[in-house]
Amino acid sequence: MLKKIALEKFGHLVSAIMEKGPLYAPVKGGKAVDFQEIRNPADVTLDFYNTAMSPKFVFFPQSEDMIRYSLGKEATEAEPVSLNAKPSVILGVRPCDAKSFEIMDRHFLGAGVIDPYWNDKREKTTVIGYAFDPSTAADPADFYNTLGISASDTAGSDIFMIRTDKQLLFKGITEKGDRLLKDLAVLEQGSKTEEKMFDDMAKKSSELKTRFMEIKDDAIARKFVQVFDNKEFWEKATAACISCGACTFVCPTCYCFDISDETLFRDGVRKRFWDACMFTDFTLEASGHNPRPRIFQRYRQKVCHKYSYHVDKYGCISCVGCGRCTRSCPVNIDIYSIIESASKL
Amino acid sequence: MQNPYIPMPVEVTKIVTEVETNDIKTFRLTFVNKEDEENFKYLPGQFAELSILGKGESPIGIASSPTQPGYIEFTVQRAGLLVTGLVTTALHDLDVGARMGVRGPLGNSWPIEFLEGKNVVVVGGGFAFTTLRSLIHYMLHEDNRSRFGDISVVYGARTPGLLCYKEELAAWEKRKDIKMHVTVDKGDANWKGREGFVPTVCKEVGPSPENAVTVICGPPIMIRFTLPVFFELGFAKENILTSLEMRMKCGIGKCGRCNVGHKYVCKDGPVFSFEELDRLPRDF
Amino acid sequence: MTAMKKIEENLKKEAKRLLEGGEVSVVLAYGRGYDENHPVPFAARKAEDADSLVFNEYCTFNLARYLPKYPPKTKIAVAVKAADSRAVVQLIQEEKVRREDLVILGIPVTGMKDQKTGEVIDNKTTCNMANPVIHDILLGDEVHGFQGGSPYDVLAELEAMSEDARWDFWKKEFEKCIRCFACRKACPMCYCDPCFMDASRPRWADKSPTTDGHLMYHLTRFYHLAGRCIDCGECSRACPVDIPLYLFHKKLAKECEAMFNQAAGMKIEDKPAMVNYGNQDSDEMLK
Repeated sequence: MLKKIALEKFGHLVSAIMEKGPLYAPVKGGKAVDFQEIRNPADVTLDFYNTAMSPKFVFFPQSEDMIRYSLGKEATEAEPVSLNAKPSVILGVRPCDAKSFEIMDRHFLGAGVIDPYWNDKREKTTVIGYAFDPSTAADPADFYNTLGISASDTAGSDIFMIRTDKQLLFKGITEKGDRLLKDLAVLEQGSKTEEKMFDDMAKKSSELKTRFMEIKDDAIARKFVQVFDNKEFWEKATAACISCGACTFVCPTCYCFDISDETLFRDGVRKRFWDACMFTDFTLEASGHNPRPRIFQRYRQKVCHKYSYHVDKYGCISCVGCGRCTRSCPVNIDIYSIIESASKL
Repeated sequence: MQNPYIPMPVEVTKIVTEVETNDIKTFRLTFVNKEDEENFKYLPGQFAELSILGKGESPIGIASSPTQPGYIEFTVQRAGLLVTGLVTTALHDLDVGARMGVRGPLGNSWPIEFLEGKNVVVVGGGFAFTTLRSLIHYMLHEDNRSRFGDISVVYGARTPGLLCYKEELAAWEKRKDIKMHVTVDKGDANWKGREGFVPTVCKEVGPSPENAVTVICGPPIMIRFTLPVFFELGFAKENILTSLEMRMKCGIGKCGRCNVGHKYVCKDGPVFSFEELDRLPRDF
Repeated sequence: MTAMKKIEENLKKEAKRLLEGGEVSVVLAYGRGYDENHPVPFAARKAEDADSLVFNEYCTFNLARYLPKYPPKTKIAVAVKAADSRAVVQLIQEEKVRREDLVILGIPVTGMKDQKTGEVIDNKTTCNMANPVIHDILLGDEVHGFQGGSPYDVLAELEAMSEDARWDFWKKEFEKCIRCFACRKACPMCYCDPCFMDASRPRWADKSPTTDGHLMYHLTRFYHLAGRCIDCGECSRACPVDIPLYLFHKKLAKECEAMFNQAAGMKIEDKPAMVNYGNQDSDEMLK
């Protein structure tokens, strides 16, 4: 199914989607563009390269309440937070980020245990992907081509959106996507001309090239096992790292979280929230022993988890080459350079 | 579908202080909901997350055996030296009758099928003996005993007062179907038993590797010196099993904290053979 | 040759000389990153590593933050611009590094640029001094007659606000915080291990990203930096969500200077303001 709308009517489309439920879309705030829940249709922008933070928070909020409790003298009252996400839409997701949802699905829904919080939101959300603009160059930090993702990749999107100079074209990719397209009366039916335009624009977008090197999942996974004990390599590659955690939090495929009970006087909540294997105290035990006290050990864990352990466990690399970690790193550590160096060892 | 992050309510029905330093206690818990008790099917070696709302959760090995119906037991040490652990300290402050939560059973168990038909050498040190105690109860039960070969146990603590499960150890000494070798690093005036470090005692006992599997649980230093003894005795790596410990949070392989290579200690472990461990990266 | 290129040349020359002669075991400076505009901090250990050193207008890193990581008595050469040198002085005052273990390669420079925006970095976000306050070797010519303006000019708007308006401003800014702790790790003076945020007993602040928690974390960190922050601006540059942390640090620095008549990190003979008692110290806070 192919639908279209004139660019100047975009605000109407946003309003129409908002009538159905929560909408998450890119908003410009200060210097950067980031996904937010939309309150005012005029806030949505489609003029950006990519957002500073990834959209993973839509399915995996930075902080998520699990149990609310009230501590009593005799007994504690507790109530698990019920899972009732409303049907939502996330619009404007770049191909690398759309692919990241599928990678996270393997983790949160796989290995024999379904994470109910991720599942609830994921089932009820429709993803509208957004092709990169072929008239702008890729950011030098990006390397999604290396992970097999093109600038107009539809993998992970329920609907794929391409912008021409006058219109927005929407193609249904999944059944969920087709259902939403059918429901949005404000969209017009696309003709054969538009279908061809979509394919042409998609092709043009995919000519946008990022940094690229040939890597095969299994080969790179084995390589990192081989390189694991090379202390000199890791120390040199991570010498500048300050172990902050910025890279983890902006990354679309990082999923580590902490669970903690936070109480004020008598009332509290057990919640889960993002954590980072880069933090010094990530593996710190109550006895005081820390299995990974050095920065290079923690960085090695991060890279090997993404490019080796995840392949062994879930069958794919846990990285989409979006470049956010490199851009947000206060000391410009570049994971692409590290993979490149390792693969040459 | 049961949300795996939400604990099941339990009541504390018995507390036994195991050691003279008072920092290790065994808690007996019964389920408040019969349905939860029926669904809590476990094998020795597994663990559960003990939950106290307002404090947090702690992953503790199950010390009771499924052959002891009606309750589950956990032996918990108040962790930490300078600053004690939040949850374990709160646990130690509980009285009989207190309510708390349990999530489990989690992790893999001692591989019962793999152990059947073989001689089992159980080696434990200090309070790491807890899931081994579960295994011994299980194997000794009249329904199960015939499926296993000779069972010998080497269990050591630093002093007699630090030995856990003293009554059960005494009862097992009297049995003919299990060989006990309890030892202490340093005895006291009343101690009539053996003196010697666990690795040394293992060497003296010298179990045969023929159709045998050894299960070792203890502090890292004990394992470091015990392993070579078993290699010298001729035990192959896949016949030496252990249980790993790491900082855990979710216990179900989702939060990403407890991995060694691609294995999550909470889900693919905590029981591993040394052959499996060899194939994992030497992360720490 | 431009001033920056000259500094780069001298940096390579001095690094090579110091490493070859065994005077130092490591030279902390800058190397090439994934492209020209994104250098990385680089530790040269062998003489040939010196060839990989660079210096350009994007070398904004404050290398003083790596100094406390080395074991005492390690001989280190460190390349420092003006604010960075103040950090080194402050670390010496706090006895985290010894003067005799350091060879300080001073870089007098103006016109440094922000890596993310390409804008020139000025007194709005840093102390904006041109010349290092301490050095063993100068890698370039001292800058004369540079009028950078007061580092506290940017506070005018904030100071004109009412107390309520200021509180609302900071609450709104800190809502953006994602608790990545890049600010803490980028800061040369945040060397505490464990940091108060990592303590669980007592738990000073919860780790989860609530707005109250953000305020607790940031406010406490700023107060731990009172009299110690040398206004290098690294924290603000490190922040992935662009919180104007420099406004808070500068305000605290301004008040401390007024109360204790001492700016952080200027002379190694000084004692840190919060640790030292002097009869002439202000009694403002007791009023």
